[in-house]
Amino acid sequence: MTISRRSFVLLSLCASGQHLLGQQPGIASRDIVAQAKPAPSGRPFDAHFTDVAKEAGLHAPVIYGGVESKKYILEANGCGCAFIDYDNDGWMDIFLLSGTRLESDPAEATNRLYKNNRDGTFTDVTKQAGLKAAGWANGVCIGDYNNDGFDDIFCTYFGQNRLYRNNGNSTFTDVTKEVGLWETGPARWGAGCAFVDYNRDGHLDLFVSNYIRFSFEHAPVPGEKSTCNWKGIPVNCGPRGLPAGRHSLYRNNGHGTFTDVTKQAGIDVATESYGMTVVAADFDEDGWPDIFVACDSTPSLLFMNNHDGTFREEGVTRGVALSDDGMEQAGMGVGIGDYNLDGHLDLFKTHFIGDTSGFYRNDGKANFDEVTRAAKIGVETRFTSWGAGMVDLDNDGYPDVLFVTGSVYPEVEKKMPQYPYKTPRVLFRNLGNGTFEELESQGGEGITAVHSSRGCAFGDFDNDGDVDVLIVNMNEPPSLLRNDLKGTQNWLKIKLEGVKSNRSAIGARVIAHYGNKVQAQALVSQSSYYSCNDPRLHFGLGTVNEADIEVHWPSGLHERYQQIHANQLITIREGKGLVANKGWKR
Amino acid sequence: MKLNFLSYEIFLIVLLLMIRSNLCGQAANEGVRSISSALSGREFDKALELLRPALQNAPNNPQLWMLQGLAFSGKDDTKSALASYRHALKSSPDYLPALEGAAQIEYEAGNEDAVSLLEQVLKLRPADVTSHAMLAVMAEKKGDCATAVKHFSLSGRMLDSQPEALQGYGVCLLKLKQTEEAIQIFQQLEAARPDDPRCRRGLAAVQLSAGKLDEALATIKPLLDANPDVSTMQLAAAIYEADKDTPNAVKILRDAIVKDPMQAALYVDFAELAMDHQSFQTGVEMINAGLKLQPAAAPLYVARGVLYVQLAEYEKAETDFQQAEKLDPSQGMSAAAEGMLAEEENQNNPDQALATVRDKLARKPGDAFLWYLQAAILSKKSAEPGSAEFERGLNSAQRAVTLQPSLTAARNVLAKYYLDAGKSDLAAKECRMVLEQAPSDQSALYHLVIALRKTNNHAEIPDLLKRLARARQEATRQEGERNRYKLVVAPGG
Repeated sequence: MTISRRSFVLLSLCASGQHLLGQQPGIASRDIVAQAKPAPSGRPFDAHFTDVAKEAGLHAPVIYGGVESKKYILEANGCGCAFIDYDNDGWMDIFLLSGTRLESDPAEATNRLYKNNRDGTFTDVTKQAGLKAAGWANGVCIGDYNNDGFDDIFCTYFGQNRLYRNNGNSTFTDVTKEVGLWETGPARWGAGCAFVDYNRDGHLDLFVSNYIRFSFEHAPVPGEKSTCNWKGIPVNCGPRGLPAGRHSLYRNNGHGTFTDVTKQAGIDVATESYGMTVVAADFDEDGWPDIFVACDSTPSLLFMNNHDGTFREEGVTRGVALSDDGMEQAGMGVGIGDYNLDGHLDLFKTHFIGDTSGFYRNDGKANFDEVTRAAKIGVETRFTSWGAGMVDLDNDGYPDVLFVTGSVYPEVEKKMPQYPYKTPRVLFRNLGNGTFEELESQGGEGITAVHSSRGCAFGDFDNDGDVDVLIVNMNEPPSLLRNDLKGTQNWLKIKLEGVKSNRSAIGARVIAHYGNKVQAQALVSQSSYYSCNDPRLHFGLGTVNEADIEVHWPSGLHERYQQIHANQLITIREGKGLVANKGWKR
Repeated sequence: MKLNFLSYEIFLIVLLLMIRSNLCGQAANEGVRSISSALSGREFDKALELLRPALQNAPNNPQLWMLQGLAFSGKDDTKSALASYRHALKSSPDYLPALEGAAQIEYEAGNEDAVSLLEQVLKLRPADVTSHAMLAVMAEKKGDCATAVKHFSLSGRMLDSQPEALQGYGVCLLKLKQTEEAIQIFQQLEAARPDDPRCRRGLAAVQLSAGKLDEALATIKPLLDANPDVSTMQLAAAIYEADKDTPNAVKILRDAIVKDPMQAALYVDFAELAMDHQSFQTGVEMINAGLKLQPAAAPLYVARGVLYVQLAEYEKAETDFQQAEKLDPSQGMSAAAEGMLAEEENQNNPDQALATVRDKLARKPGDAFLWYLQAAILSKKSAEPGSAEFERGLNSAQRAVTLQPSLTAARNVLAKYYLDAGKSDLAAKECRMVLEQAPSDQSALYHLVIALRKTNNHAEIPDLLKRLARARQEATRQEGERNRYKLVVAPGG
């Protein structure tokens, strides 16, 4: 419960002025007051982030709309990125999406695939991989849809979404049409996406959220409507005032094609939501994947799996759709993890400037309590926030939170310098008692540097046993934050290979027991903001040097592995046990 | 509202007829006949004189006690009358004349005891329109509109001659969102009193509330066309504004101010209009004009203070709130506004905001809004349930709703405290009370959904979700409306 300046007006004038008949209804705006910052803990933080993008060879800017101003919201939301080991060499490669410009496609405007040279540098292999493509790309999800052992790439677009099949020889083929994902109607604005085996048949299906129904012909321009102003300055319009997109679910038919099952699966009930990032995981621990969609300025959605090929939408009832006072928020990015080490998957959702991010604690049955303020995350409201992760950055055994930020209105800064376009990254260290502490300079210059960032992906690109961060910056080269972790904290990485389950094991839930702690993680194909993390699940273990592992495979198989030594990657093949790692070298 | 549904004379005639008919069946009783005769002739002292020996002879005769009650009532000695009726009821609890007599006295005194007496009457005579009407008025006074409407609807033509009761019926229907029925009642009222502008304004106000803006304008037009008073102009401004005709709303409000520049409420209305359109400086300038004429009008300082808060001019706001407090310590708004200001000014320092609110509370411990503020600020500190801070916040919210049951913001905070404390049933109860007053309150709807989920009470949730969706859409629409029009001061004012 908060008091906003707006409520001040209403409460005060209702009492002092003339009100003919009763009270006015509530207000949807979130002019929220930040929580007071607690005194610093004084505890050292061992992770330190350095932006090594330039040295790593990530020079090309991510083109996305106008630089000085944005005429349409299409130019403002930006795109995601992914860590993908496309050549199965055991080293994370990088895939970056791109937008374009209204007037024409600049030469640099293309998605990019960078091969990991295993020495801290990358090589742009976009062209030879067959991935050069310009357009308004938004989201990416990675998964082996045809179970051939090589991860494929699905990208959402304003216009036509694209599925790139990995040919297994370092090239990809755009198979959108042949698999039945080609849209024949008016252009749609594909936003978030997730590979998810919703019917547990061992084949990855595909969920795609859509943002708004947009067309250049009908879109209002800055200042044209009340929804096209911010702080009194004309800016790009929306999403409010623009028609909402419709989300889609495509069933994998098992022989290389997909069928649109949106209606029969009950996804079409959500007709008024501006869908963004999608996270599919088994939130109620019933063995079937559910689907969470962060939504902008409308209630977020939680589709619960009915085990019969259908879903029921229960976001509001389960406590993840609205703020804790029942107001809609601008949901952008999503982090998933187990911040309080109770073995259940919690959610973290980023929002617009003037609002806190949302932190939702899961009771294991997919009933969520918002704990934003209790977790002391409510201290930060200064930035429009996007990609996020709930990951253990300092390997102390407690998942931390990192998210990236950036305004959507570059033109505002000139008139109101207090609202800059480029803003820093935000790092919250988990104090291990259910609360977090915001760190600034302690996280290194990679954290304090200002950019207008959007998607980000978490993964260990240099295989050194910690979590690094890849970040999309609007109209700038990306950032690659190398984690230069000090200290001797232990860790464990787990790579899963499905056999009866889908080959990527997407949807698996892994529970690590270390010391007296228990931590759940899920293998998902999208989280953060329109992005995909390193599929190798990373557990910081603190001072503990071994862990017991439980794997809940998407097929329903439940396996346990005892006393796994720390500081290694293990590969678990479903039903077979530990197998040799592919190409992993440290 | 003091209504008299049964005059003494009517009451007396009815009773005597009943007694006589009763007595006719018994052995003739000359004594009682004499008493009745004295009462009919309004010879109350004589009746009391005759009653004394009769009661000595038959101390448990309820009729005699009832007659004594009548005699005392005739002498306006309601205390003795009530005691007599009560005595009669002791001997015969279902003795209808005594029940009615006692109920009438308790009702007129506004005592809650009337309710049980009237309910007893209705048990014996379910269609008794007078008792229904009296129960309805009592419930309406208590704010229990659901009960009030139930009894009003069973009062038949009894209300035709009771315009105040009729108005109460209409207001209750409105509060229960039965707008069509409310409009009918106000139409009935207006038809009964066509020359009373208050009835016409009432009807227009209800039509405005129901969103029937064309009808509201048509209703108020005859008043507007005939040299309207400022109350009519105020209402017309509200209708124009609701009809998205802000220029006309502004114009008529300005005209009203010109007509009666000494009426502070008009400036406050203008300030509110300015606020709704984010035109804070314009609002300040209009209030300044009002203050030139009425430098001692506390509400104007409060309104300007609120506008200054919007402009982040906190020092000026504080000065205005203090000035309002100095001018009229009883108006109660400025302490609350100062508390809000402290909260706004100390966004990152809730302890400072709390200190300010506590200071105000020390001076005004009966101010519900300040208790609410304290609860809300403490709520933001997210104390653990069971901690001293949590309990203080919870107690503050409870205190606020006790002091002002209609303060829905406080009930929402209280509901959140109960949810956090795991007392979902209590949270649900608070939410329901908010929703009685404000059916579209998003916080209450949402917290109720969560409370019901936590108590595994799912049946009601689908309907609540639909209501919440509608409330959100309406709030979004209204937010757009607020940004639709900006008020500016023309050159030269």
